Amino acid sequence: MSDHAHAHAAAAAHAHDDHGGIAKYIYVFIALCLLTSASFFTYSDYWPFHAQPQIGWAFMMAVSCTKAMLVILFFMHVKYEANWKYVLTIPAAFMSIFLILALVPDVGLRGHWVSEERQLYMAEPRPLGKQGAHHGNARQKEAAESRSSGAGHE
Amino acid sequence: MAEALTHAASHSAADHGSDHGPAAGHVTLQYHPGLPIPNGKLIVWLFLSTEIMFFAGLIGTYIVLRFGAPTWPLPHEVHLSEPIGAFNTFVLICSSVTIVLGLEAARANKSVAAKGWLLATFALGSVFLGVKMYEYNAKFSHGIYPMKPHSLIYEKENKAETKAAQDQDNVARHAALEDLADRIMPLNSRRAQAEEPLNEEYPWLRLPIRIPGGNMWASTYFLLTGFHALHVAIGLIVFLVMVPMTLNAARAGLVENIGLYWHFVDLVWIFLFPLLYLF
Repeated sequence: MSDHAHAHAAAAAHAHDDHGGIAKYIYVFIALCLLTSASFFTYSDYWPFHAQPQIGWAFMMAVSCTKAMLVILFFMHVKYEANWKYVLTIPAAFMSIFLILALVPDVGLRGHWVSEERQLYMAEPRPLGKQGAHHGNARQKEAAESRSSGAGHE
Repeated sequence: MAEALTHAASHSAADHGSDHGPAAGHVTLQYHPGLPIPNGKLIVWLFLSTEIMFFAGLIGTYIVLRFGAPTWPLPHEVHLSEPIGAFNTFVLICSSVTIVLGLEAARANKSVAAKGWLLATFALGSVFLGVKMYEYNAKFSHGIYPMKPHSLIYEKENKAETKAAQDQDNVARHAALEDLADRIMPLNSRRAQAEEPLNEEYPWLRLPIRIPGGNMWASTYFLLTGFHALHVAIGLIVFLVMVPMTLNAARAGLVENIGLYWHFVDLVWIFLFPLLYLF
């Protein structure tokens, strides 16, 4: 038997062995819904860390990465693929990370050195609200309040 | 090396000679696929790896821009509705499930069921796009566009309101302009309860509005969601093309390929939703 045919037979066997069927997709679906509610929970008034947005950001990114892994592993069947999956995904992931890091000095830190003329016209850090929240403790509660009261205003 | 050359030779022989597979000619060719997957699936994965870089570049740039910005608009200032975004996330997750169930149906040779799931995916994708259009309209109707001349966004009151009140006295100018900017569209909620913003009361005025960070927000929001919506639309077109086909086991590979693409579109939204609506 040629390798080609062998590979195909193996792939076919894979398709039959490794798929837990409909139930597995339903479990993944439920997990995805729960995780979406979890990140949406940071928007509700019951989320205790409105004053420290960094906690919410880290939490939401962790939730998103978990959701992404669930979709990639089960819906895209990557869990059941051979090792070629690493060849295609890991270099692309590294390229993305380097691309982002390359932007940090010029774009991410652009606000650190600003000419006076530019400062005249650029937005100022807001005195109230979420952005100013981590600049002072007294503002934090007020910021959280203005955020929750303003949230319903479409 | 010699072995590789032999392989290359046998490849071209296969291309130019018989198209009936390795056993058809008098020479038995040993064909080694580079990867143990069908060519179509390989193409889709190569495409997806470029898409990873494309969207990672866009999302990464958004993150770098956003955290390097002096300030960023609050969701309600730019008329973003978090519940609507969460609903759209739910819709896309559902559509991912329906397309993967369609693939299972096609593999089991249940072509009618597969077509049903495909149509369900198409419907859910259309709902997503419809909601997106509704959201875009909420921004456009408030003068939030990615660029001038339609955009009414200004970063600061001194720039914003000189347009609305050019004959202001120089001395009291700043305070008056700030007050006017607040009357047009309040920055914080302190005035929101007291009186209706001018732009809401008289939408035909279309006065310049002060949204600090609003221009960068609009640029990144419309770019990210626009490219994502474009991907959704392309997926919908492929679904439409596939509707007349018989989605039996022979076509399972096709369903798998479009499914991979669709899951990737879902994947991008999984990151866009918290980054754009909840950060």
